[in-house]
Amino acid sequence: LLRCPQKSQPLYTDFSRLSSTSAKEEPAVSAESSPVEEKVYLSASCVKRLGEIMDKGEYLRIQVEGGGCSGFQYKYIVDSTRNEDDRVFEQGGVGVIVDQDSLEFVKGSTLDYTQEMIRSSFQMLKNPQADHGCSCGTSFSVKL
Amino acid sequence: VSKRKILATRAALTLTPSAVNRIRTLLEDKPEYIGVKVGVRTRGCNGMTYTLDFTKQKEKADEEVLQDGVRVFIEKKAQLTLLGTEMDFVESKLSSEFVFNNPNIKGTCGCGESFNI
Repeated sequence: LLRCPQKSQPLYTDFSRLSSTSAKEEPAVSAESSPVEEKVYLSASCVKRLGEIMDKGEYLRIQVEGGGCSGFQYKYIVDSTRNEDDRVFEQGGVGVIVDQDSLEFVKGSTLDYTQEMIRSSFQMLKNPQADHGCSCGTSFSVKL
Repeated sequence: VSKRKILATRAALTLTPSAVNRIRTLLEDKPEYIGVKVGVRTRGCNGMTYTLDFTKQKEKADEEVLQDGVRVFIEKKAQLTLLGTEMDFVESKLSSEFVFNNPNIKGTCGCGESFNI
């Protein structure tokens, strides 16, 4: 599909920082030349579930907040308003909103709807920015 | 003077109606299973986490809880931990999960999945 996020990710620095490094192997910090696409992928189960629960004009908003046992945590909200700095990722008729600040932390990840017996919930998988997470998948720490 | 103490015997685990319904739904099309089994496992940032599985037979050491026609088995290891716990099923638009309201625990992780006693 798209380039796989590499193991050695660029260290996450500042939102506004834009340096253009054009190294082949070493990923650059800048958004343009980074191997991590500035987007969030949706898994098939996620698209299916969103199609079931979302009304027209409603989106799932992904936010990253400070908190949780590993430093940062994901927050999922049903939202129908789009702000100026929001990015929308649509697939199969459903959409996910991520604001620009949060996107820096989640870009390249896959949003999945995991169904287990004990729990069914949305989870971010394979976040290239995340170092290690809490077992619940809600909280994560950022690679430095 | 010896005084006989009368202790109330309560079920080790109580289920809320929504939990009963959910377990019933889970077991509906699986006649090979007789119930679900609750356990604890060392995992997560706060020590322990709950596990939930289908079960085909009652193990010797399992504690059986029968409520409204639903059978829940508690693993031996988990019996002390879970004593007096209420098992609930919470469903929202974005997630659905079994929640254990456990009076024995001292603290939980932010997400509520992990806990310590």
